[in-house]
Amino acid sequence: MNSVNSAILDPSIGWAILAGFSLLWIALGWYWGRHAQQLDDYVLAGRRVGLALGTATAMATWVTSNTTMAAPQLAFQIGVWGMLGYSLGSVGLLMFAPLARRIRHLMPNGYTSGDFIRIRYGHTAWRVFLAISLFYSLGWLVSMGMAGGILIHALTGIPYHYGMTVILAICVGYTLLGGFRAVIGTDFIQALLILVGLVVIAVLAIRHVGFDSIHAAVLAERPELLNLLMPAAIMFLFNNLLFGIGEIFHSNVWWSRAFSFREGVGFKAYTLAGLLWAPIPIVAGFVALAVPALQLNVPAADMVGPMVAANLLGVTGAVLVLLMVFAALSSSLDSLLAATSILVVEDIYRRHLKPHASAEDMRRAAARIIVGLGVLTWLLCAPRLTTLAELLYFTGAFVASTIWPIAAGLFWRRANAAAAVAGMVLGSAAGLYSYFAIGFYVAALVGAAVSMLCVVAGSLLAPREFDWKQLGEAHPLHKEVAL
Amino acid sequence: MTIPLPVFSVLVLVALAITTAAPVLLLVLLVRDWKRKQLW
Repeated sequence: MNSVNSAILDPSIGWAILAGFSLLWIALGWYWGRHAQQLDDYVLAGRRVGLALGTATAMATWVTSNTTMAAPQLAFQIGVWGMLGYSLGSVGLLMFAPLARRIRHLMPNGYTSGDFIRIRYGHTAWRVFLAISLFYSLGWLVSMGMAGGILIHALTGIPYHYGMTVILAICVGYTLLGGFRAVIGTDFIQALLILVGLVVIAVLAIRHVGFDSIHAAVLAERPELLNLLMPAAIMFLFNNLLFGIGEIFHSNVWWSRAFSFREGVGFKAYTLAGLLWAPIPIVAGFVALAVPALQLNVPAADMVGPMVAANLLGVTGAVLVLLMVFAALSSSLDSLLAATSILVVEDIYRRHLKPHASAEDMRRAAARIIVGLGVLTWLLCAPRLTTLAELLYFTGAFVASTIWPIAAGLFWRRANAAAAVAGMVLGSAAGLYSYFAIGFYVAALVGAAVSMLCVVAGSLLAPREFDWKQLGEAHPLHKEVAL
Repeated sequence: MTIPLPVFSVLVLVALAITTAAPVLLLVLLVRDWKRKQLW
């Protein structure tokens, strides 16, 4: 069992698994969404999500296919620092915990991160922010859609277009039927699947191979992977840290959760999610380091995780990996569809196109936009252009430039609009320049540094006294939908 | 500087212990929220 072909499941098994889980998610989506007729119920799960579901949804959404597949790949390519660097993605969740509490406190009736930027900094900053946020959301959607098609093909032999279409259709289906409640409910099950699958594979690697053999074989064949002073890996660590913080701070995926959690849950849920997420890339990465000891021939680094699982467990291992990948993809795709749809409904449809839209209009628009986003993602994924999948990497500079406008805007009364706009525009430009001039590993770092300079210096030079009460203004629709 | 075997083992074992405890903790919290009628 030493080639990638042995890791591939029979397509009929692949189809059976996809069909079974598709039916399960759709049925759960319908069941949980059958009473979600009001806008708040549909887009924010009624704003009463508890700690268990809140923690699981934050954790599962952050475990993307990148975590389950790229963490082993990074460990295989840059060693221990790859595992630890990826693990620092949890810092974004941990740092968002106080922000989630503040967001819920200041904006009890808010819907989107766009709402915050519009009220806090005005229309120019809001539109710059929306451009960044929508660009990032689309990049993430396309990268997940393409990853779905590619991974399902690699694991089962099912053609790329079929796999990509199935994963998108399922996620659109249950998100459409059940709204945010379906997203959060399925995220809980998906989190359990990912965690249990990972533990089984790692325990088997330890039992069958052992730490001694794994460490000795890596030291003999790839000693650089155990080197704690690998410069490129240390740069990756810092860049990944800032990229992750930027992704979480600005994206409506995380803001919509902060709005949906019941009072007092946000801080605990994000803290716990960060603590439980941190070890996942380390365990997933460790599995990859078993390759030299297992004497596997790895033709493609991104298949290292499934190959080890299949070597240790045979067909069962490949099934386990397929379930984990399917769960990781679904938990991120459904969250993106739901959070992006309410961002488009609130910040584009209602604030730009139809200011007098009723709650019912917005509820219908949210459903249509979920379908529209699914179709758009499918159209962008269909040509299978790898350059599109790489779109997400470009967004590092953009999202990192939003860290300071958001953090300062939430906690620093004097932060001003011009400084926030300059931070986002100049930070993005500088980050993008450094991406091409130096490398991907500095884009987020430069973007965040320039943005910090703009926000801090600009706000100190021309401070503005912001009244926090403005953020608590009741949403015009809130009374009619939240009773 | 190579990461020594004991440090490497402890790092992985701690990560694995947390990952093993995570689903149990989530289920315990789920039951607690359900009993308090605070699921969602």
